[in-house]
Formats: sequence, C-alpha cells, structure tokens
Amino acid sequence: MEPVNDIAQLVVNGLMSGAILAVPAIAFSLIFAVLQVSNFSVAAHIALGAYAAYVVNTVLGLPIVAAVAIAFVAAGVVGVASDHLALKPLRRHGPITVAIASMALNLVLENMLRFGFGNTVQALNIPVYRDWVLGGLHIAPQQFYNFLIAAAVMVALFCLLAFTSIGKAMRAVADNPVLADIKGIDPEFISRLAVFIGMGLAGIGGVLIALDAAIEPTVGFRVILPIFAAAVLGGLGNVAGAVAGALLVGVAEELSLLVLPVAYRSAIGFFAIIIALLFFPRGILGKR
Amino acid sequence: MSFLRVEDVVAGYGAHDEILKQVGISVEPGEIVSILGPNGAGKSTLLKTIAGLVAPRSGTVEFIGGSIAGLRPREVSRRGVVFVPQENNIFPSLTIEENLEIGGHLAKAEYREHLAKVYDRMPDLAARRRLPGGALSGGQRQLLAMAMALMVGPRLMLLDEPTAGLSPTAADDLFGMVSAIRHDGVAIAMVEQNALRSLMVSDRAYILVDGRNARSGAARELAQDADIRRIFLGEA
Repeated sequence: MEPVNDIAQLVVNGLMSGAILAVPAIAFSLIFAVLQVSNFSVAAHIALGAYAAYVVNTVLGLPIVAAVAIAFVAAGVVGVASDHLALKPLRRHGPITVAIASMALNLVLENMLRFGFGNTVQALNIPVYRDWVLGGLHIAPQQFYNFLIAAAVMVALFCLLAFTSIGKAMRAVADNPVLADIKGIDPEFISRLAVFIGMGLAGIGGVLIALDAAIEPTVGFRVILPIFAAAVLGGLGNVAGAVAGALLVGVAEELSLLVLPVAYRSAIGFFAIIIALLFFPRGILGKR
Repeated sequence: MSFLRVEDVVAGYGAHDEILKQVGISVEPGEIVSILGPNGAGKSTLLKTIAGLVAPRSGTVEFIGGSIAGLRPREVSRRGVVFVPQENNIFPSLTIEENLEIGGHLAKAEYREHLAKVYDRMPDLAARRRLPGGALSGGQRQLLAMAMALMVGPRLMLLDEPTAGLSPTAADDLFGMVSAIRHDGVAIAMVEQNALRSLMVSDRAYILVDGRNARSGAARELAQDADIRRIFLGEA
C-alpha cells in the first residue's frame, strides 16, 4: 500500500473507533456537567452494557437493536442505583473523594460481572461481512454500522439537550444548580436523570465495543483512559467537545501506529491529557 | 393578615454562625420596600432566608397567611415569591430565550403571554434572544435576571443589590424598570447599596445593623433624616 493511502486508511479507522469512544465520552462529560464529578464507573457500565447485549443477542437470540435498548436501560438503572448507594453520600466531601470512590465502585461492579459471567471472552452473534473497498480504502461494514449507531445516539442526545424542556433543564442545572432550584427545577431529579442517561449511553458504548471486539469484564476499563482523555480534550462538561475529543483521540491512536509499536497505543490517551492540560485547559472548543 | 411578614427571624450559614440575630419586616401588596444597612448587617441573608436558600433557626416567615419558613427555594417560587440573586443570576450558556423559558418553568401555561409581555417591556432582550446569556453586559444581565423572575407572574420580587457594579446610566434604567414592575402590581423588596437612589423609588425602608432592625419608616422621611444621611451619604 502506498503511504498516502496508508495514512488515509488509518484516519478512517480512527474516525470509526473514535465514534465508538465518543458515546461513553459524552456520558462522562454529561455526568460531569450536571454533577461536577468525574465518575470513572463509566468503565463498568460499558462492560455491563456489553454483557446485557450478550444476554439479549447471543443467549436470547434477539436483534442488536433490542440489545442496544436493553443495554441502555440496564446500565442506566444500575448507574442511578450505584450512584445513589455509593457516591451520593460522599458528594459533600468534594469531587476528588467522589472520583476515587467511583474507581472503587468500578472494581465492585466489574467483579460482580466477573462473578456472574466468568472471565471467559464472549462474543455477540453477528454475521461477518467482507470489507467494502472504496477508492482503495477498506471499511468493515460492521464498523460502519457502529459508526451510524454512535452518530444516531449522539444526534438524539443533542436534540434532547437543545430542544426539549427536560434537556434545557439539564443544561440549566449544569450552569447553576442553585438558580435552577429557584426557577422550579429539582436539581436532585435532574442529577439522577443525567446519571441515568449518562450511564445508559456508557451501556450503549459497551454494545458498540462488543460489536467491534469481544466481551470480558474489563472491556470498559481498557478504554477508560482514552475516554477520559477525550472528555478532558473536549473540555470536561462540554458534550460537543467530548465528541471532537474522541474523534481526535481515535485518529491519533491509529496514526501512532505509523511511528510507535502497537503496545504503546494506550500512551496516546495520556499524551492527549497532557497536551490538553498544557495548551487547552478549557478544552479544544474553548468554553466552560 | 399581612402579605409578607417576617418576625423575630434568627438565621445564619453554619451551626454557630448567627448573621440575623432578630429581624422583622413586612411588605404589603404592590409596595417597594428597601432594605438598607452597612456591610455585614445581614440584608442579603434576610432575602435568602425568605427565598428558602437559608433556613431560619427560629422566627416566622409568612406569605399571605401561610408559613414559608424552611421551604425549598422552588416551593417559595411556586407561591409567587421570586428571588433574584446579586450574582450568578442567569444561565450563561443558555440563550436569552432559553433563560426566559427556564424562568417560566413554574408557569408553563402562561409562557407565550409572559414572554410577549417581557419582550414588549425589554425590546433589547427580544433583539438578542438567540445569544447566550453570558454574552450580555452587566446591566442587560440584571434586566434578564429580572425578566426571568417576571416569567412566573410573581406577586413579590426579592432583588439582591440589583445595581451593584452597574454604570450610573444602567442603574437608572434598572430603577426605572423596578418602578415599572411595581406599576403592574408586583411588590418588591430590595437590598441596595445605593441608599438614596433606592429610597427615592421606595415606599418604605428598613435599616438593619448587625443582624437587627435599627430603623424603619416611610422612604421619604428616612431620606430626609439627618442620621441616615450621615451614615449613608457621609454628610456632616
């Protein structure tokens, strides 16, 4: 393959994998925007979504659309319950305490999945397609479908935030919870809703990763660094920024293959966080 | 039965922190009442206690005969008593129209009607309705904050230092708006640094010192009072 095409192929691959990262990255950012805390248990909710899809699709034989819907609800419900039990009581001790507790919560949830499903790698029951070849670029149809699902989920979230009254209420609480309370919005209800939607999206992210690769308990933990990097790069709490950050991290990870051994791919996330903190402390979109 | 009645209120932020030691005020329908006093007298805390942002430790806070002491801020707003904070009183990342929509969250049925009235009164906001609130100047921000409060069709507005940090012209506009809002039958209780200007638009005033009532009376008389002029205007 000629080098130019090589780079184009890596960029395409990066956009595909970045779109998958974008879904949990906006989840992370949405929760941060409304609750002002980093919730690293997004990782376990990714795994939970992946296993929900495994049960619905591989075990029960239902289609992927059903798996996406059920993964959203299951991860959302577990997200609200675990936040209520483990994180909410710690909120008054500050965001760092909650962030650390969320890592502990992540271990607990991950090991519950391990207890239930074992360490064996599982897979979804999906057909294998031959790659499409467009102008010398290879695109795996499944990756393209994943890209479409990710795009549809993001459009749905943006419409919710921009056009619905509950979405505007969420943005209001993210801006100023005290003022929102004065205006008649219950910030606690909105926080629970943000956690439900956020963790539900993490669950959908889990389905997308499961469609792309395999399912095991650390499936979310393995991508939490690039997800966090994407959210930081986009400006924590900036949902649109998280999408841009995820696409950038995805492309950067792929392009790194040109100069670095594949084992160093995960260093890109760290590198992106350092770049963001040094040069774009408020995110590449520059707001919030 | 009074409209707003606050009696013997004790309140503060921490367990041992007593900012209001014993304060009482009342506001009658359609009145403008100023709450004045030196820094740290507890003026803002008094408004926050009425608004539900600070829970009174003891005392009475009643609105039209019902106790509102210790209610959540949104429950106080629902009764028609709307607090406009001094700072952070708009949603900067929401557009002006979205700010007004959130402002009218408790009166969704009358949204169109209230919005038309607000835009009619504040055409500058109408012209900028697609801009984010954060893009407004200080004076326009205060107007937007008051417009948001108007979106619920309030009976009593609590304004915390509405002219703080504004240019003299912007402050004039704001006092004009306060008079216009009262003209529509909305009662106003406001805390102000600009004592003389505030007394000129008010019917009555209370002066708080160190968490207690010091003076009260008709605004016109207080504005002429030698003691008051000495304290607030530095006259000999």
